[in-house]
Amino acid sequence: MFSVGVGSVELSLAGIDGGVYRLGELLDERERVLLLFAHSECPTSMLALERLGPLGPALRTGGVRLVCVVQEPLETAARLARQHRVEALVVAERPPYEAARRFEVESVPTMILLARDGSASGSVVGWSVDALNELLPIRVPDEEPRWKPGCEARPAHDAHRPGPTADSFDELEDMFERGWSDGLPVVPPSADRVAAMLANRDPDRSLGAVPPALGEATFERVAACAVLAGCKPAYFPVVLAAVEAMLDPAFNLHGQAVTTSPPGQIVIVNGPVRRALGLNSGMGALGPGCRPNLTIGRAVRLVVQLTGGGVAGGLDRATLGHHGKITFCLAENEEASPWQPLSVERGFPAGTSTVTLVAGDAPLSVSDHRSKTPRELAATIGWAAAATWSPFWWPLDATSLFILGGEHVQLFAEAGWSKADVRNAIYEQVRRPARELRHGETTPLVQTADPETLIPKWDDPERIAIVVAGGEAGRFSAVCGPSLGMGANTITREVQWTT
Amino acid sequence: MDYVSPIDERVRQPEPLAVRTGGIEGKTVALLDISKNRGAEFLDRLELHLRSHGAKTLRFSKSSFSRPASADLIEEIALHADLAVEALAD
Repeated sequence: MFSVGVGSVELSLAGIDGGVYRLGELLDERERVLLLFAHSECPTSMLALERLGPLGPALRTGGVRLVCVVQEPLETAARLARQHRVEALVVAERPPYEAARRFEVESVPTMILLARDGSASGSVVGWSVDALNELLPIRVPDEEPRWKPGCEARPAHDAHRPGPTADSFDELEDMFERGWSDGLPVVPPSADRVAAMLANRDPDRSLGAVPPALGEATFERVAACAVLAGCKPAYFPVVLAAVEAMLDPAFNLHGQAVTTSPPGQIVIVNGPVRRALGLNSGMGALGPGCRPNLTIGRAVRLVVQLTGGGVAGGLDRATLGHHGKITFCLAENEEASPWQPLSVERGFPAGTSTVTLVAGDAPLSVSDHRSKTPRELAATIGWAAAATWSPFWWPLDATSLFILGGEHVQLFAEAGWSKADVRNAIYEQVRRPARELRHGETTPLVQTADPETLIPKWDDPERIAIVVAGGEAGRFSAVCGPSLGMGANTITREVQWTT
Repeated sequence: MDYVSPIDERVRQPEPLAVRTGGIEGKTVALLDISKNRGAEFLDRLELHLRSHGAKTLRFSKSSFSRPASADLIEEIALHADLAVEALAD
């Protein structure tokens, strides 16, 4: 059995708390030290960390300080500590594993109890409930497996393994453990990647405080979110413009971020930037497969979740939420549209690249392969929206977004209908007598109106927003219900972008 | 690995709680209606109870339940009341 005198052990090991610890300094007159050697590729080591790690405070009460010596890079040691809820000092040991050599550790886990004078008063190799109960002042969990042999310690283990296995730190898992995710894997925001995203922009410039927790949306943090989301640096101007729009007080992101209702933030891109970045406005415009659409929308939502602290189940109190709160970005199919693009409707010159933020719910598809007239078709599309928010809540005083597919738009265009004609036809046709709406959740207007009074689904035709998107074939459109009660205005910003 | 955090890591110090009044008799209670459906009904009932226990009441309301109370409104409540009750609703 070896002995290490106080002060004679000069080995320094880096702690995951940022400190550097000399083994000699860990020994003092008040406490004994339990060294636990472990590494991540050994299941028994993981068992030992899981069972002993949380017992750090209890051991300390018994006069024993637990020190976990993890034969891994610092990041991996930190991850293992978090994963196993270790409440003790954790230090990382790297090649040539001097501590393991000094203590003659040939397999892991090895637990060595050092007396106050530095002499080893006992050790356990592998996992053994009985042996540990004999060694320690407290009892370890009496759970299966009660005994499990260990594995080779790092030096021997690595020597027998081909290839670079020592650095088993998993960046993607690390992102989850930091909480830097929306539940899907992310791209780690390394300094290099964030710098590339920023492209010489001022990292400290701020777009404002992001509700609900009011984290400051510096360009650097927005860039970190864009990296996490998987954006290319070329997409960043669109992300910046979208975040700027989202933080306009008139959009009321605060209300949207914390509400129990499901809606999220919908990003609509117009102008030449769509083609330059390869945004999909055609077939499958709302669907999978297109990196710019999905990652721009995701970056915007990550700003809400990470910089703004609007995490589902935390400050985001949505009862259900929906998948569009992971990402919801579409590009208008201006080429297939007979009408002015949304950006022009909203006051920007033709040819300007913009993003428009709409507070809205998940898309509801509408099939109509039979209507022959624009009026019939407008009714079908409009009535699909009748149940949005709540089937008896008429009229809505918030924006509903209608996304019209190519064949539907073609029918309207062939009849010579303008976008305003479609909007008005929906508004005029979707009405029900007040008596039919007096069920469950309904409005004061419905309650007080004459029973035969026709109540419109929207209180103003301007609540009906229309964009064109999707492929040429298939008579489908979609409607996104409103984010009711938020007083959320639709906001458009120009994308500061050059080719 | 050196990462750039997407999170505003500044630590905000929690605001200390106001000194407890120890009771409501003779105190002024602000009743804040957040402007959500039926919140006022709840506050009406509460107001009766508070008054029957010797409290004075003042009514305030937010312009919208989905936005935080304005700094001016919070200041006015703090200036005129010893206690405040904010009513949720639905």
